[in-house]
Amino acid sequence: MNVTTSLHRRLLVWLLIPSIILGTVLLFQAYASARDGANRAYDRLLDASSRVLAEQVKWQQGHLWFDVPASALDMLAPNEERVFYTLVDNQGRFVSGNVELPALPRRSLPDTHSYEFAAATIEFEGMPLRLGVRRARLSDWDRNDHFEIRVAHTMESRQQLTRALIEGSMLRFAGISLIAIAAAFAAIRAALLPLRRLRHAIKARSAHDLSPLALPVPHEVRELVNALNELLARQRQARAHQQRFIGDASHQLRTPLAGLSARAELALRSQDPTHWREALTAMLATSNRAARLASQLLSLTRLQANETPAEKRPVRIDLLARNALNTTLAHQRHRTMDFGLELPESPVIVMAMDWQLEEALANLIDNATRYGAQRITLGVTAMPPALWVEDDGLGIALDKRREVLRPFYRGQEDGQGSGLGLSIVASIVEAHGATLHLLSGADGKGLRAIIEFSSTDAEHIL
Amino acid sequence: MNTICGVALWIGLTLSFNAQAEDVHFPASVEPARHLIIEGALESEVFTPVLAAFHATHPDIELTYRNLDTRTLFAQYRDQPQRPTADLVMSSAMPWQYRLANNANGDTLGNAIDPQWPTWARWRNELVGLSFEPVVIVYRRELIEQIGAPRSHAELVDVLMTQRDVLKHRVVTYDPRRSDTGFTYAVEDARLSPQYWTLVSALGEVQASLTDSTAAMLEGLESGRYLIGYNLIGSYAYAAAARNPELIVRIPSDYALVNQRLALIPHNATHPDTARLFLDFYTHPAGQRVVAERTSLGALSPALSGKGTAASLRAQHGDALRPIQLGPGLLALVDPLKRESVMTRWQREFERAQPVKSPPGTAPEPLNLPAHSTGEHHDTR
Repeated sequence: MNVTTSLHRRLLVWLLIPSIILGTVLLFQAYASARDGANRAYDRLLDASSRVLAEQVKWQQGHLWFDVPASALDMLAPNEERVFYTLVDNQGRFVSGNVELPALPRRSLPDTHSYEFAAATIEFEGMPLRLGVRRARLSDWDRNDHFEIRVAHTMESRQQLTRALIEGSMLRFAGISLIAIAAAFAAIRAALLPLRRLRHAIKARSAHDLSPLALPVPHEVRELVNALNELLARQRQARAHQQRFIGDASHQLRTPLAGLSARAELALRSQDPTHWREALTAMLATSNRAARLASQLLSLTRLQANETPAEKRPVRIDLLARNALNTTLAHQRHRTMDFGLELPESPVIVMAMDWQLEEALANLIDNATRYGAQRITLGVTAMPPALWVEDDGLGIALDKRREVLRPFYRGQEDGQGSGLGLSIVASIVEAHGATLHLLSGADGKGLRAIIEFSSTDAEHIL
Repeated sequence: MNTICGVALWIGLTLSFNAQAEDVHFPASVEPARHLIIEGALESEVFTPVLAAFHATHPDIELTYRNLDTRTLFAQYRDQPQRPTADLVMSSAMPWQYRLANNANGDTLGNAIDPQWPTWARWRNELVGLSFEPVVIVYRRELIEQIGAPRSHAELVDVLMTQRDVLKHRVVTYDPRRSDTGFTYAVEDARLSPQYWTLVSALGEVQASLTDSTAAMLEGLESGRYLIGYNLIGSYAYAAAARNPELIVRIPSDYALVNQRLALIPHNATHPDTARLFLDFYTHPAGQRVVAERTSLGALSPALSGKGTAASLRAQHGDALRPIQLGPGLLALVDPLKRESVMTRWQREFERAQPVKSPPGTAPEPLNLPAHSTGEHHDTR
């Protein structure tokens, strides 16, 4: 059964199907017992009638003699049944009758061999008949031959009685069924009531209300409510985090904007164009920083808001590192900095989102340039697949390597960074299920940042 | 002597029946024609007015009626004949007709029968009683002047005992051995009263003539050969009395059997639909009015009253009327052993006062019944 169908229907189906099966069995039994009852009632007629007939059988002038009493035949038909009778001698030969009725079918013979009367339902010339057979013997002085009286009638009265009896059972059964169905509906309704209350409680909430649900619920549903409450708690935390982030971001943006305003005001007071030029140069630097901050905020938000992760595709990270270096070189033409690249001989492929990895590499390189590096080396290792960036700059103190991953935390108070670069890298690494290692560079100077992918991602491709 | 005549007459009749059944034919006057063939043990003379009236309402039906004797009818239909048969079969021999229906030789009558039709004249919607015919005593008018008219069975016995000389050879009744109808009456008489056996021996004492049909009895009565006839079919007797004022019909005042013509549609009928149309016409008031006014069959429909209806007969004779019950008890009369048993008794009573000599033809046949013959015993004609 489909798990998504309604609980209501599931419960109904599981309650009703066994009831229907049980009911059918009961009805069959009721029918069988009604039929047996009707047969018992009307077999008495066969019994009595055959008895009267048997009393009329005599031995006379060398053969069985039979004066059929009309009353015995009348007795055979409680309604307008067709009636049949046959007298058979001790050899099983037909002596008299309006048809030649067969003997009792073997399966209907009573257990005892010396039965007097037995009855069975047979098919005779296309008609269902109830056949009664009486075994008797002559009670004359000189003869005591056996003979058999067979009587039969069609089954209309029996069927009528059976129908009347079964109709009673059917009526009672229908009544019980109706009550049972009503009870099942009521029970299901009552059982599902806590779920409905829960639904109403959740529906009635405002979008901002993330407080835990406080509802009296049965313990089967309490699990669900607990899970819901845990989710809500996480939501609350996430929202607080978000609010703090927005606050920090606003604060960070306000500082350069305030600086811009102050500088512009100061410049406007002066009449000297050289002051204006100085001011404009300073303002350009500040606004560049602000623009960079805004774009970093944007990319961080984009990373974190990415609820449905984009499809990962196989990416050659060795080519990626080369391209990142080329891009950096293109932008850093005026600086004097030493860039290096270390690549394995064979291509390295991981499942990744290439634009995110590009962003991460750009941030790591940018960080290195901002924190006093003269030499920056990009590298790729194959086992395990990893990207790394090493510089000889200021590095990060061992005890701060965790904190620098938080947004707006700066390794250097006077640094030029926005405090978002490593946060962005950390988010990307997390989105890829990879690990970020921050180590000291060669000779204990600078920083070596490694993005190490889980090897299964790579093996998947190889 | 008379019985020899009777046998001769019977053989003659049988031969003529076998050679050419007595037909009544109404050609269709409208095209396309439908057909209806009725076979019955009912004299054409009595039945024709009904057939004519039916034909008048259904001129598109080509109607053929064949009058056959009861034994021929039964022999034709007893074993579910597979050949096409007549569409409606009527017979006054109730036990044999009931035996046909009981052994599933009849088709359903559908909705043909008027719902008002008395239930005691219907069985399973396969068999329907169409007439109400008392079994009567007929005597000649001169009998009243000579010895007075017997009004009941008891008076009849009395007259037979006391006026033996006058009545010798001048009483006629059915021979139960040769006529199924006569046999039926004998068994029913015996069932109603043990006095019947006294009557039989009284009949034997006057050496009553035994015939095989009401027609033969009426013929003898009309010609003056007989003074009294016992157990005649009322419908024929009334018709004869209407022709001949010398005949007087008497319904016995103590009890009178009432016979019914039973009709069924054979299961292999060629035109069962027109047969149902006929029954529909016959049992509804329009047809019943014809039955009451123009036949002596007795109209059964409770919608009618007055002359010629069962209702008026009941009003006049009340409790005395004993309709032969339409039920499984009739089957006993078809039983060959039962027949032998009754006939032995009958023969003994009839010959009780007679000289031992038995003329050929009336002698009690030796009772060497083939014990393993199948079913009904019809060959002892």
